[in-house]
Amino acid sequence: MKNIISWPYIKDIQEVLKRGAVILISLILIASFTACTPSATPPAVPETGLETEAATAESGWSKEYEGTTLNFIAEATLNTTILKELLPDFTEKTGIIVNVEEAPYDSLVQKVVLDFSTHKGGYDIISMPYEYLGSFAENGYIMPLDEELSKDAAPVPDFSTDDLIPSLWEASTKWKDKIYGMPSNSAVMMMFYRKDLMENEQEKAAFQEKYGYPLAPATTWQQYRDIAEFFTRKAGDTLAGETLTQDFYGVSLAGKRHIATVLEWFNYAWTYGGGLFDSSGQLQVNSDANIKSLEYWLELTAFAPPGYTSATWDEVTAALQQGTAAQAITWADTAGSMEDTNASKVKGKIGYASIPTLKEGDKKVAHLGSWIYAISVDTQNKDAAMLMMKWALSKSIQLQLSQKGGLPATISAFSDEELNEKLPYWKQTMVSLEESRIRPRIPQWGQISDILSEQLSRVMVKEVSPADALSEAQKQLQEALKDALPVTAE
Amino acid sequence: MQIMSSASRGSPASNSWRAQFYLSRNTKIAIVFLLPSIVILAAIIIFPIGYSLTLTFQSYSLVIPGKTGQWIGFENYQKIISDEAFWAALGRVGLFTFLAVFIEVVIGVAFAYLLNTIHFGRRLLTSLLLIPTILTPVVIGLMFNLIFNAQFGLFNYLMQLIGIRISDGILNNPSTAFAALVAIDVWEWMPFIALIMLAGMQAIPEQPLEAAQIDGANAWQTFWMVMLPMLRPVLIVAVLFRAAEAIREFDKVYILTGGGPGTATELADLYLYRVSFSNWDLSYGATLGMIMFSLAMAAAILYFYITVKRGEIQR
Repeated sequence: MKNIISWPYIKDIQEVLKRGAVILISLILIASFTACTPSATPPAVPETGLETEAATAESGWSKEYEGTTLNFIAEATLNTTILKELLPDFTEKTGIIVNVEEAPYDSLVQKVVLDFSTHKGGYDIISMPYEYLGSFAENGYIMPLDEELSKDAAPVPDFSTDDLIPSLWEASTKWKDKIYGMPSNSAVMMMFYRKDLMENEQEKAAFQEKYGYPLAPATTWQQYRDIAEFFTRKAGDTLAGETLTQDFYGVSLAGKRHIATVLEWFNYAWTYGGGLFDSSGQLQVNSDANIKSLEYWLELTAFAPPGYTSATWDEVTAALQQGTAAQAITWADTAGSMEDTNASKVKGKIGYASIPTLKEGDKKVAHLGSWIYAISVDTQNKDAAMLMMKWALSKSIQLQLSQKGGLPATISAFSDEELNEKLPYWKQTMVSLEESRIRPRIPQWGQISDILSEQLSRVMVKEVSPADALSEAQKQLQEALKDALPVTAE
Repeated sequence: MQIMSSASRGSPASNSWRAQFYLSRNTKIAIVFLLPSIVILAAIIIFPIGYSLTLTFQSYSLVIPGKTGQWIGFENYQKIISDEAFWAALGRVGLFTFLAVFIEVVIGVAFAYLLNTIHFGRRLLTSLLLIPTILTPVVIGLMFNLIFNAQFGLFNYLMQLIGIRISDGILNNPSTAFAALVAIDVWEWMPFIALIMLAGMQAIPEQPLEAAQIDGANAWQTFWMVMLPMLRPVLIVAVLFRAAEAIREFDKVYILTGGGPGTATELADLYLYRVSFSNWDLSYGATLGMIMFSLAMAAAILYFYITVKRGEIQR
């Protein structure tokens, strides 16, 4: 530094530097001020629907909001990618431009919460996981849409709320008698199994001999376990008449300290008659049913690929695609990738069925994972956002979305004959949706998921017993939810 | 490593009253140079710390209704006392920092010594050595995620080649997962220590080393009794830098284990992140941050005080 300062031309540059510093500081100040003011205030949009009729274009879609720009954020999934591809159709029909931002689950929630809590209005319309519905609704972050839906403001030719799958509609958009959104996809969990192995005569005979009943897709947890045990083989063993070059496993499951593990466990807990809350809304995390379900799940890990304690839904999907696991309880939205020749070694070999139950004839349950469209209360473009939601859920768009491998939320798309013929998982997805059950949507969901993922992970690595882990979870949740109990609305 | 303020550097060596307030031209220039960073530092450090401090006396959540900044006194601080998970995480990060920095120093000094003895290709070697340190921690996390994968990871494959069959992934067992994180940190940061120590070694005058050799000291004695004491000021700074970094370890753990299996790798910063951004309890998160900050500051001051008092760094 010394050398630079005693440089001969110092006097000249001294002045320059002083000015430079002043300019720099001013720039910083200006920049920080502009950063604080709400960015990009959108142009005002006419709020009345009076001119609707006149403004309706030939396509039957309202051009009333032509020129409006909507900011939309959604999870970075195939569904969003496809929707993005289809969006030019919306712009053409309505003149509304949509900026799509894609983000993974965690980051999406964080971005949205920060935008909502600062009331910056950065997003007009969002696609959000439904477990945040309670929180966002009660904090007044998202708009109730009852009025909008009843008055049917803009005529939308191809859309009807009657076409939305009832379980999705009810479960994922309604909070305490008000509707806050519309389903954006229909993710649901179901059972994936290797159809080709179940139909193999040799295996059938061997199974019958060992277990005393015929080999078929599991309908009870006992059968699911037996099948898992039966098909767990070492490299060099024979499987369906062929010698294995690598180990083969009876199940694939998620056991990482991750939300995937919590979501999968709910299926076992519910079918065992458990759940987080009892009928009076008090916590019952360490109930017998819950403990039994966790003990059962732990038993299954003996037949799972190594590394299940760091597996999420991604690894479960990969194990099935690579043909190294015989069964899994996983998400319907991965079924498309099973039937994709480029990614899958088991195209056409996977069967899809409802999640097994404890006893034959028990009520079927499937964990619902749908996302929902919702509108920010800070938006200036409510009506345009409504229009986009309806467009996205219109018959033709839902059909195109399905044809491109996405998951629709409408009855019409699921009952489309062509799709039913082409996609082996189509029928089952609809069945599972009808059987679906939702996870708690109370504002404390973040803590619930956090506490459960820690405790379940401890069980998976055999650090503690299921009973101890669930007692610990009960204790921690009791503390975390003390202001929210009893939970009357899930 | 002389600790001197840059402002005192240019002032004349006079002790008169005027001289105390007299700013030489060089000092003025220095202030102009420093001003932008002072303004920026004030904006990005002093304001957030002040704001966090007020937050610790409030109840503030972004997702739970009715927690919008109500004053709750010392409730957050009281909660910390009984928060076992936090203390456990703090203990874990203490162990992590100690192990990682200790191993890094041992291997780093050894590496630096070796590099100091060779002359051919030293530049190339030091440049190559820097690669792990300049990689983004997130990339390192993703990379080791593949290396340690239980089914098709490189690590298990290599182990199998030398005859050790590991049935599970190294990250899937609580104790090996923690060890793996320490090892990755050593891999990432050992070169940093090695480079600093190498620079220190090259600055050591030849004479004392020669004198030691003439007196009949062997290589180990020369290193241990002559070289190392002269390197201590450099070492102290290197350790302080690394410890300050290691205490806030987050990226790699977040990507590799998410704190699991169980709670085996849940370090303090990860716990803070969970409280603030999974549970959205920002006020409690700020309180934990304050405690962490104070503890780290106290440790640094204590460390500095001990070393300065012992005359390792001349004022």
